[in-house]
Order: sequence, then C-alpha cells, then structure tokens
Amino acid sequence: MPGIDECLLDAMRLPGARGAALVDWTSGLALGSVGEAPGGDHETTAAEAAELARLAAEHGAFTAGHAEDGRPPVEDVIISNRDSYHLLRFVVTSFDSSVFLHLWLGREEGNLALARIRLGEMADRLVLG
Amino acid sequence: MVGTPPPLPVRDRAATDDRTAGALSPMLRRLAEEQATGVLVREHGTLHLARGRVVHAESPLAPGLNVLLTAHGTLAAAAWQRAAERAGGTADAALLLLDAGLLPSGALELCHLDALYDAGYFALAPSSTPGRFRYDGTPRIGPLPSVPVIALERETLRRRLLLHRLWPDPAADSAPLIRADPAAGAQVTARRRAVLDRVDGVRTAPEIARDLGRQAFHTLVDVRRLAAAGLVRPVRGTPVPPPLPPAPPLTVTDPDIALLKRLRDALEAL
Repeated sequence: MPGIDECLLDAMRLPGARGAALVDWTSGLALGSVGEAPGGDHETTAAEAAELARLAAEHGAFTAGHAEDGRPPVEDVIISNRDSYHLLRFVVTSFDSSVFLHLWLGREEGNLALARIRLGEMADRLVLG
Repeated sequence: MVGTPPPLPVRDRAATDDRTAGALSPMLRRLAEEQATGVLVREHGTLHLARGRVVHAESPLAPGLNVLLTAHGTLAAAAWQRAAERAGGTADAALLLLDAGLLPSGALELCHLDALYDAGYFALAPSSTPGRFRYDGTPRIGPLPSVPVIALERETLRRRLLLHRLWPDPAADSAPLIRADPAAGAQVTARRRAVLDRVDGVRTAPEIARDLGRQAFHTLVDVRRLAAAGLVRPVRGTPVPPPLPPAPPLTVTDPDIALLKRLRDALEAL
C-alpha cells in the first residue's frame, strides 16, 4: 500500500511531471514534496497553492450543489500557464482533513486529461489503499 | 462581495539561515545540533525526539491520532483500544496498526503527520515554565514520517503568524466561546458551520476540535475567521491573558514576536 512518498513518486512518473506535493490547505503546510517547485521553493509554492485551493473549496460560486454523497463538490483546480499546468486534486479522506495533491506539469510533454485522471486515482489510493 | 483574504504566510527564505535562526529557541536548536534522543516536556505538550527528529507529539489541547482516526469511523474504537493496550502507548500503537495493515499507509501517515504538527503547535506555545528534556533511548525513527525539530518549530511560528493575520486577538484560542450578533448576515462554510453549531458559551476551541474529531489548529483557524466575521467572541469575564503593554517597537526582545514582526514586514513589502 502506498504511503505519501510513494504516491508523490507515482505522480512524478506522469509524462512532463516537474514537481508534486501533498499540501494542507488550511495551514498551507507541505506534508510531502518531490521534484522541482516553481521558483525553487516548495514551502512558498505550498502556501500559495493552499490559498487557491481554499478559495475553490470554500467559496459558494464553486461549491454550489451536489453534496449528497458527502464528497466535497470541487474535485480539482487547474491552472494553465504558457509553458506548464498546475493541477490541484483534493484528497477525500474518511477522517477529517484538508489536503490536496499538487502536480506541476510541463505543457509540451504533459497530457492534462491523462494527468487529471491519474492524479484522481492516486489521491484515492493514497487514503483507501 | 468577498474581499481578498490575507495570503498564507511563507517563510522569508533570505532570513531562514541567519535572522530567523536567531529567533528559534536555543534549547531546540541545541537538541537538533546534538541529534538528541529523548522526551521534551513543556507546559502545553510533549515532543518525543529520536536523533533530533520529532517522531511523536502529544498535547492535552490537540486531539490525538486515536481521536482523529476513530471520530469518523476510519478505525473502530475497539481496534485502536486493542493496539494501544498491546503497544503501551500512542506512538507504538500507530506502528502496530501499520504492521497489521488495518489502515492504508497513506491514510495513517497523513493522520500521523497531522496529529504531530497539531500537538507540536501547542507543545511549542509560549509557556510560563521552562521545558524539561529527559534523555531517553525509547523514541526511535520508525516507518512513520518524522520531522526535524527545527522544522516543527518554524512551522509553529508560521502558524502563529497565520492566526495573527486572520484575527489578532488570541483570546478566542483558549476561552469559552459564545455566539455574537454579526452586523450583517455573513456566509459561513459548511466546515465553519460545524464549529459555529458547537459554540455554546462553555466549550473552548480545543474542546470543539475534539468533539468534531478535527485538528485543533484547524479549529483555531476557523474560530479566528468566525471572530473576524463577528460571529463568535470569547466569553467575557473568563480569565484571559492580560493585554500586552504597548511596547515601543524598537525594544522588542521576545524572539518569537521579533520574528513575527519581521515576517509581517517582509510580507507587506512584497
């Protein structure tokens, strides 16, 4: 069964992956990180990504409707840059937590649709085994 | 209309090596340098160190790993009870669970780190009595993640700054809370609604966290946001720390406050 590091290393095997982290969006803490970070600093990246994730997770414009199964309505947040993508995938846990996986993906080699599906599977495997 | 929230604080990288280091506690720095193994007992919590890394943390103010895991049915309370009895302690009970495969490793690692940073935050809170370190060969680095003691301290300082930026009055962290009448009907997220529903004039934020099976620091964040929105306030008349005297800015000597001020100034200068 994968732990946090194995999960992040899995994410790094995706084509074009530059860096990956598991981040708590309430505190802004990176609970694990591998590879590169934009600007070279995983901590700063985690704090900034956490702010974005929190806005998406909390603001009504993005969270309206669809909460019957107890899963949060927002699954992921995608940012596209000129040369890269940032994919934030919320991790749904059976215990109380507020974490997401952050994958930084080169745009030339990366496949956003594939990465989105795989990252969702990795998020589930991380906490469900 | 929602105003832009203050950004989460980040460490001033240029200062990490010199200026910030001076603000860290000399005792923790020494324990880190000598890669100490033992138990640090402080007023609000306990850190278990193995070779200078925190392998386990406990605080009466933070729900333990057992609470986080059992509150929402991730693990049956009886299964935890059996593991704790066999292991003789929370730290080793987690290892037994890992070995037994009762929980996915990722879930257990995540919960373990959440509980460690959460209890560590309170263990490293300012205290009125000095901490005591007992050299003891029991704590050891096992398969669960550990955190360098200096990294835990820096994260704790960052969290203090985060709370301060959300709402500067720390009274709501420890006093019984009561609902206040907001000036306007404020929107409350589902997570904060759960906290607000438990505000009854008696319970404190750490008690609400335990009741919800949530990290205490997460609950402090929610309570400070609720206080900032005018929805809750600490009960008047409860003993709260006296307000800080208006110290002239140039005579700040408390290293933590000095660090927080530098961090704030650096953030504002961005």
